[in-house]
Amino acid sequence: MDISDILQDLNRDPFDENYDSGHRQPSGQADLQALTRAWVNERGTIDLLRWPKDGLIERATERVKAQIEKVEELTGDMDPKTNFSLIIIQTEVERWKFLLRSYLRARIAKIDKHTLYYLSTPELQERLSETEIAYATRHQQLLHQHYLSSFLGSFPQNLQNLNDTAGGISMIGGPDEEAGVFARGLGSKEIGEEGGVYVKSRGRDADGEVEVERGEIVVARWSDIKEQVERGEMELV
Amino acid sequence: MALPLPSGLAPAEVAFLCEMELVTVVPRQQLKSHELLGGPTPALRPPHRAPLPLWLALLLKRQRRANILPPPWLLPQSLEKILKYETDTPSVFSPPPPHPYPIGALPADTDHISPPFLSSSTADAPAGYLPYHWLELGEILLEACSDDIPEADKVRTLLRDLREVRISKIREVTKVLEGGGVVSLKGVGAMEVAEGRQFTVGVMDGLRKLGASRETERRRRQEDGESGGGRSDDDEMEMEME
Repeated sequence: MDISDILQDLNRDPFDENYDSGHRQPSGQADLQALTRAWVNERGTIDLLRWPKDGLIERATERVKAQIEKVEELTGDMDPKTNFSLIIIQTEVERWKFLLRSYLRARIAKIDKHTLYYLSTPELQERLSETEIAYATRHQQLLHQHYLSSFLGSFPQNLQNLNDTAGGISMIGGPDEEAGVFARGLGSKEIGEEGGVYVKSRGRDADGEVEVERGEIVVARWSDIKEQVERGEMELV
Repeated sequence: MALPLPSGLAPAEVAFLCEMELVTVVPRQQLKSHELLGGPTPALRPPHRAPLPLWLALLLKRQRRANILPPPWLLPQSLEKILKYETDTPSVFSPPPPHPYPIGALPADTDHISPPFLSSSTADAPAGYLPYHWLELGEILLEACSDDIPEADKVRTLLRDLREVRISKIREVTKVLEGGGVVSLKGVGAMEVAEGRQFTVGVMDGLRKLGASRETERRRRQEDGESGGGRSDDDEMEMEME
């Protein structure tokens, strides 16, 4: 470990999704906080967010798996005293399982709704995990085949496309980027800042820039605060 | 498979989130430390106080293994003070508790931490401020351990009064919404957001769609005003069309 590693470690942020987990495994507490935030964010908007790149979900799944094995071991030597410990451990595992499941299901719902949209460009595809891409591709294939056999097949060749952009209007619909969301300011990531985050605020009669304090909750358009949420300077509530 | 719920946390999910808040318990029995996924729990030795997540504290309380200390803001005196503020100042919520981890010179792990991980409901939390999960936490504690809360009936009435004063403030926000912009709701609670979300966002989206043409028109005019470039672009477009 040389000096640059140490410096990098100092600047590391447990919630930063871009941080690559080369050094040490984040603590369970940090993972719980990151997972909770990912879940609330994902539930907070109709747009699909980026899949955590630092392996958060994979790690959380591993943790749950290991804990379940531990529970099974403990069940072997049943005695009234460890019984209550078992209840505590199991309750916590169930809570983690709920978080993971709800997170993944919320993402599947979004992918189902706008499958073609999220597959349409490499930038959008990047938001999906490998399994999600496999799921979306297969889902779209099945759907397309079904459409072809039930009605598309009897249309003229030039009307059979599902991704036509004729007339300047794309057939592929995406989520409403301008939809209103509730969000909380978490503090700027700039060092030396007092914690206020500046967001642009586009309105009907005027555009401007507004400072959102640390811990302040605001209603805003998703497109206005999207960047801040991706950077971890704001979170959805 | 896919989640059938609309976006935004449902009230039951908000309550789930609230159960991650730390509360202070006074154990009545010994309990060893447990290696949980979210980190180890402190070993419990009566009569030493210990911070525990609410879900675990409730589990212990139901089995009469511990008592829960109500957070200082949930005491009648504190709630009365907040209620006075809420009634005296229209259209502004009472301020949220100050962030327990001030930003230092060096970046820290706690810089971007947020509820439910702020320990704003332990016995050391400040009185006189409603934390983000105030309503859920108050209701849960009143239901599970009203015997641990002094003057529980009074607390219950005060919570109900607070809720009524504040709910009218949420509705007032729709007056300021004009389909865009950033509108502050400083001090609002989680359950209040969950309740008002569909309505507020609905009003906002509706107004935005109604004002969309006006907005694009204004933006186009502004661009024209700032530079003559916009104009000539249009001309070029027309030329090409011909």
